[in-house]
Amino acid sequence: MSLRRVLLGTAAVALAWATGVFAQEPIRIGWLSSLTGPLSSAAIAENQGVQFAVEEINRTGGVNGRKLELVTRDTAGDPTKAVNLAKQLAFTEKVHVVIGPVNSGESLATVPILARAGIPNLIIGSVDELVDPKKYPNAFRAINTNRQWIEAANHYALDVIKRRKIAVIGDTSGYGTSSAKTAAELLEKAGVKPVYSVLVDPNKTDLTDEVNKARAAGADVVMPWSAATGLLARLLNTRGDMDWNVPIVGHPALMAPAIRELVNKPEYWGNAVAAGYVSTTYDDKGRLPAATQALIDKLHGKMGKGEIDYMLWWVALGYDTVKIVEHAVKQAGGTDPKAIRRALENTRALPGVYATYSWSAQQRNGFPDHQIVMNQANSFKDGAYRAAK
Amino acid sequence: MLSALIAGLATGALYAAAALVYNVMFSTSKVLSVTAGHTAMLGGVFGAWFMQVLGLPVPLALIGSVVVGGAFGLLTDIVAIRRVLARSDEHLWLLSTLALATMVQQAIALWWGTEPRPFPRVIPQDFGAGLLDQKYWLPVIVAIGLAIGLEVFYRRTLYGKLFVAMSEDIFAARARGIPTDRIRMLSYVMAGAMGGLAGFAAGQLTFAYFALGLTLTLNGFIALAVGGLGSNVGALVGGAALGILSSIATYYVGGEFQQTISVGLLMVVLLLKPEGLFGTRNVRPV
Repeated sequence: MSLRRVLLGTAAVALAWATGVFAQEPIRIGWLSSLTGPLSSAAIAENQGVQFAVEEINRTGGVNGRKLELVTRDTAGDPTKAVNLAKQLAFTEKVHVVIGPVNSGESLATVPILARAGIPNLIIGSVDELVDPKKYPNAFRAINTNRQWIEAANHYALDVIKRRKIAVIGDTSGYGTSSAKTAAELLEKAGVKPVYSVLVDPNKTDLTDEVNKARAAGADVVMPWSAATGLLARLLNTRGDMDWNVPIVGHPALMAPAIRELVNKPEYWGNAVAAGYVSTTYDDKGRLPAATQALIDKLHGKMGKGEIDYMLWWVALGYDTVKIVEHAVKQAGGTDPKAIRRALENTRALPGVYATYSWSAQQRNGFPDHQIVMNQANSFKDGAYRAAK
Repeated sequence: MLSALIAGLATGALYAAAALVYNVMFSTSKVLSVTAGHTAMLGGVFGAWFMQVLGLPVPLALIGSVVVGGAFGLLTDIVAIRRVLARSDEHLWLLSTLALATMVQQAIALWWGTEPRPFPRVIPQDFGAGLLDQKYWLPVIVAIGLAIGLEVFYRRTLYGKLFVAMSEDIFAARARGIPTDRIRMLSYVMAGAMGGLAGFAAGQLTFAYFALGLTLTLNGFIALAVGGLGSNVGALVGGAALGILSSIATYYVGGEFQQTISVGLLMVVLLLKPEGLFGTRNVRPV
């Protein structure tokens, strides 16, 4: 063997060693988000949190010396696109973990695909069917379930304000229909049969009949289960125009800042309560939990001191999903899907901003019941809310 | 029940206005442009933008919405109709108008946002007016006004007669020296302006919402088919029937059957009277 060959061989080994040590493979996070389209408002806020966490972790050296690489794909809220992009992330981009999609309708389509590909998937859709330890062993939910929202609202109506005559209004979308059905079932399980139940088109221009019927049925609480802010604003307007001050208790979209502009008079937004989170609820002294305040301070540091005009919990959820990936990779000692799965299954009380997460081999819903709280719908201030009395 | 009727009538008036927009465009081009509902969407969105963001008074905002609608009608003719009709007898206009409608809707979604936004009061009135609220009656008044105005236009004006001539036989009209391309362009501008006016009038009912166009395009078509293609009275009756029937169906059986009943109405009319309630059968002498 000539000296030249020995030198070349040595150089090749040295290069391989160097690339292995100094340029470790990044941790590739697929991020399926509906950044455009009709369902984009929550996704845009979540995207801020995701990006912020990735930048923060990379600034401090990454995870176990490996940088995070975000591979973002915009599904535009379309399940068909979401399916194609999930396949692209799994088989072409070969990401190590996928966060999303943002909406349950898209997730219902992508979760089986990512399960077949064996890729860890952090679920941020609230529909109950999205997680199943047998069918989708690598899927772990970070957000609360829809049922948790409904149970919190039912508890508030029945046990806090002590009402028994409940009108349930859902919209005709898949989400609205199933939510209204679940709400009615849970109420009946608690011994209260709704005095009036109806499904309405989310774009219905007038709700006078529905509100009149609820009133005629003797309802002392109206519970809307719809994410359509237009429909919810029309409900508030109809109640206000009729001068009927019945409490409205329901879906978090009742608290959306967009409602403020849609109500005929500001007071029409009063006496409305919606399911929210402990993490984004002010205490009696007007303070937020320390982790939430710390995130706000960091956001202000990056984006200026102006008031936060979007729901902060979406940012907190996006931020937490990346921190969950960081936790899982650290615990697993790498990006092997089985090791990540075991790490998440053994996660107990992982503190985040949005919530404290726990999963197990049988429990794939990580959000604890007690971190949901009812908020006054019209109390939005700097991204957070006041608790309902 | 009365509230269901009034609300249905108001929504139906908007469907009727969309059907009238279809009629005007169809009269000179034999094209059922999918952009019909989007003209009204633009009227609502730009009306709200003129008043809330630019702070323009109601009359100026109204004129602005009509101008925007007219400009969109002109764009429809130039981009989606003119070249397609010149090059092909096939129904490729369905694709070209659908493409334009989709692009406009997406553009509005990106610019205006995907959540519905409020439309200001047009006439000072307390919100407690109940069924006398302007949000119910403005669309009805505008739809009836548009239908009457169109009838007068067709019967009393030279351009109206040219529209009718083109509607009867476009080749004969061209042979007689009528500048058919220019008249068609005028009809699209007029249809767009009508849609802009209707969208402005119904803004309080619908909110300023980017996705309204497709709903109106579909329901306007049903109203048109039920009432009879080419008939303005038919458009009014078809729109009102569809709006009221949908509203009553929701009242009695719930919203989950609303769309089924709308499309069911279309099926029944098409089976019993394919030309629509006020349509005429075209008999071509050979």
